[in-house]
Amino acid sequence: MAAVQKTIDAVAALEKYEHGFTSDIDTEYAPRGLNADIVRFISEKKGEPEWMLEWRLAAYERWLAMEEPTWASVKYTPVDYQSLFYYAAPKEKAGLKSLDEVDPEILAIYAKLGIPLKEQEVLAGVEGAARYAVDAVFDSVSVVTTFKAELAKVGIIFMPISEALREHPELVRQYLGSVVPVSDNYFAALNSAVFSDGSFVYIPPGVRCPMELSTYFRINASQTGQFERTLIIADKGSYCSYLEGCTAPMRDENQLHAAVVELVALDDAEIKYSTVQNWYPGDAEGKGGIYNFVTKRADCRGDRSKVSWTQVETGSAVTWKYPSCILKGEESSGEFYSIAITNGHQQADTGTKMIHLGKNSRSRIIAKAVSAGKSDSTYRGLVSVHPKATGVRNFTQCDSLLIGKDCGSHTVPYIEARNGSAQLEHEATTTRLSDDQLFYAQQRGLSQEEAVALLVNGFVRDVMQKLPMEFAVEAQKLVAISLEGSVG
Amino acid sequence: MNAFPLIDLKDASSFPSRRVEAWKYSDLRRHLREAPAPSPSATVPLVGGGPFEALGGEAMVFVNGRAVGETQMMVSGDKMVRLRLISRAQGTGHALTARLSVRAGAKLLLLESHEGHGSAYVAHNRLELDVARGAEVTRIVLTDEPADAMSITQAQVRVEAGGLYRQTILTTGAKLQRLETQVTHRARGADVRLDGVYVLSGERQADLTSVVDHVAADGVTSQLTKGVVRDTARGVFQGKIVVERGADGTDARMGHHALILGERAEIDAKPELEIYADDVQCAHGNTVGNLDEAALFYMQQRGIAADEARALLTQAFLIEVVDRIVHEGAREVVREWLTARL
Repeated sequence: MAAVQKTIDAVAALEKYEHGFTSDIDTEYAPRGLNADIVRFISEKKGEPEWMLEWRLAAYERWLAMEEPTWASVKYTPVDYQSLFYYAAPKEKAGLKSLDEVDPEILAIYAKLGIPLKEQEVLAGVEGAARYAVDAVFDSVSVVTTFKAELAKVGIIFMPISEALREHPELVRQYLGSVVPVSDNYFAALNSAVFSDGSFVYIPPGVRCPMELSTYFRINASQTGQFERTLIIADKGSYCSYLEGCTAPMRDENQLHAAVVELVALDDAEIKYSTVQNWYPGDAEGKGGIYNFVTKRADCRGDRSKVSWTQVETGSAVTWKYPSCILKGEESSGEFYSIAITNGHQQADTGTKMIHLGKNSRSRIIAKAVSAGKSDSTYRGLVSVHPKATGVRNFTQCDSLLIGKDCGSHTVPYIEARNGSAQLEHEATTTRLSDDQLFYAQQRGLSQEEAVALLVNGFVRDVMQKLPMEFAVEAQKLVAISLEGSVG
Repeated sequence: MNAFPLIDLKDASSFPSRRVEAWKYSDLRRHLREAPAPSPSATVPLVGGGPFEALGGEAMVFVNGRAVGETQMMVSGDKMVRLRLISRAQGTGHALTARLSVRAGAKLLLLESHEGHGSAYVAHNRLELDVARGAEVTRIVLTDEPADAMSITQAQVRVEAGGLYRQTILTTGAKLQRLETQVTHRARGADVRLDGVYVLSGERQADLTSVVDHVAADGVTSQLTKGVVRDTARGVFQGKIVVERGADGTDARMGHHALILGERAEIDAKPELEIYADDVQCAHGNTVGNLDEAALFYMQQRGIAADEARALLTQAFLIEVVDRIVHEGAREVVREWLTARL
C-alpha cells in the first residue's frame, strides 16, 4: 500500500516542468560562433596547459572534417553551429574559497532545484539519507564543489575538470580521451574541442568512496551550448557511486548539450553511474527543448572490474545517447539499466553497447521505454563478442510500452558473436497499457492519470530499484510528471 | 518503403557495400568489384527433377537465368509448382525474375530449389508473389550451392485480406548468399509465417533477411529461424517487423536461435521492431549459444558417443522449424534433406 500511496502523492504533486524557470544572472560570453580562436579563448579562460590547447585544436580540426551522423531515428532542425555561444559563465571569479562567496542568485537557483550545496544539508524528507557531494555546473563552469576536503582525506580527488587540469595534469593527460577518442564521433570531437567543465573523479586503490558523488548540470544562458566532460577513474579495488542530474529553462529555441563521459575501472574496481536526465523537453507543440547528444563510455580495463549504468531519461527534445561498456578485463562485467520516457514531440534514440573483449566477461541490459503523445522512442544496442573472449555471457531485455495512437516505439538490437562459447540472450516486447489493468485500477477509485502512473511505475520497477535512493524518489515523481496529459 | 536497393548484375555501382546498413553483414561490393560476364545459355540437358521431384506437380524451370518455359504464372484452384532455379556456370553471372499470382481463394504449394552446379557464379533471383484475398500459399526453399558461388534471392510478397502465406527456407549457404523476403500485409487479417534454417560449415555464409510490413489491421506474423555454424562459417539473421500507423490488432512474433559449434564461427543477428500503433502485441527473442553440456553428458553417460550425441542434439534443435511445415509430403522431403546435411 505504501508504494501506491507514494505514487498517488507523486501524482498529486504534479507540475508541468518545474525546473523551467529562467534566471537573470550576469553572464560572460565568448563571442558567438566557433573557430580556432574560440577554442583558444576557452582554453585560455581555463588557464590550461599548452598540450591541452593543442589537443583541443586537433579535435577541432577533426570535427571540421567530420559529418553529423544521421543514422539515428530522430528528426530535428539542424543545429547551426555558428550561431551558438560556446562559453557562458556567471561573472564571478573562479576558485572561490567558500560557499558564501558564490553569487547568492546562483545559490537560490540550486535551492529552488532542491540541490543541497551546503555540506550539512541532507536530503529533505528522507530519514537517514547518506550525504552526497555535489559538483554544480552552471552553463560552462563549475560554480561549487562540496565535500572536497573531506574526500581528500581518503585520497579521493573530486573537482571540476578544469581545476584537475591545473592540479593533476598528469592524471588527466593519461586518461582523457583514452575511452572516447577525439575522433570517436561528430559530437565527441566537438566536445573535445570546446568542452568547458564537468567533473573529475579519481578514487585511489582500495578506497570505497564514503559518499555518493554527484554533478548537477544546469543550462541557464540562452543560445548557449553546454559541453561538459566528465572523467572518472576507479583505481584497483576501489568503488564509487556517481549521480548526474540536469535541468534547463523553458525556451523556444533548441539548445545543444553535447557531453562526453569517460569511465575507467581498473582491476576489481566498481563504478556505478546513475543519471536522471530532465532537460527541458520542449512545449506541447514540440517547440524548443534540449538536443541531448551525449557520448558515454566505460572502459572496464581491469580484471573483475564492473561498471553499471543506470539512466532515467525523461527530458530533452531529442536524445542521442548510448552509454557503453568496453569489457576488456577478464571476468569484467557491465550493466545497463534504462528507463526512457517520451511524451509530446520528444524523440529518444538510446541504448547501449557491450563490447566483450575479455574472457568470461558478462553483461546485462534491461531497457524500458514508454512512449506517449506524438513521441518516438528507439532502443538501439549492440552486444559483440570478440573471437578471443571465451565464456562470455549476456542477457538483454527490452520492453516498450505505448500509450496512445500517435507515438512510436522501435527496437534495433545488434548481436555479433565471434566465439563459440558465448551465451547471448535477447528478448524484446512491445505492448500497450493493458485496458484490463487500467479498468481495474480505476474501478478501485484511482483517476485515469493516477492509474497510468501506477501502471507505468510498475512497468519500470526493475530499473527503478537499481537507482540510488536519493534518485529513486525524484525519478518516480518524474515518471508521473512526464506522462501527465498523455491519456484521454 | 523499399528495403531492396535495385541491384543490377550488369552495373557494379549498384552493388551494395557494408555501408548500406541493410547489407552491413553481406558486403556484396567487397566480394564483387566488377560486374560478372553474362552466363552462357546452358545446353546440357536437365538431369533429374530436383529435390522435390517425388512430389510431382508442375515445374517452372530457369537455367542460368533463362526460363525453359514460362516466367509468369497465374494460379487458381489447388496447385503444386516446383520452381527450379538452376545455375550451371563458371565465374559468370545471371539474373532472373519469376512472377506468380495466386487468385482469391486459390491454394499454392511452391517448392523452390536453388540447384547450383559449376563454380564461382553469381546468381540474382527475383520472385514476385501476390497472394489474393483468402488465398493460401506455402513456399519452401532448399538451396544447394557451391562454396565459391554467390547468390542473391529477393522475394517480394503481397498478401491481401485474409490471405495466408507460409514460408520455410533451408540453406547451406555459399561464399556469399543472401535470401531476402519482403512481405506486406496489404489488407486486414493476413496471416504470415516466415521460417528458416541454416546449416553452415567451412567458410560459407548465409544471410536470411526479412522485412514484414503491417500496413493493415489484425495481421499476424510469426517467425522462427534457427541455425548452426561450424568452422569459420558466418550466419546472418536480420528480421524487421514494421507496424504502420493504423495497423491495430497486429500480433507479431519473431524468434532467432543459433548454435555456434566452431571456435571461429560467427553469428550476426539483428531482430528489429518498428512500431507506430499502440494496440499491438510484438515480441522477439534471440539467443546465441552452444549445445547444452548437461544434455551432452547425460547422453554420453547413457552410452551414446560424443559425436553422435552432438548430432542428435543439433538435429533436435533444428527440426522444430521443419515440424512447422504443414504439408506432410513436403515436410518429409525437407526432413530428409536436412538430416543428410547435418
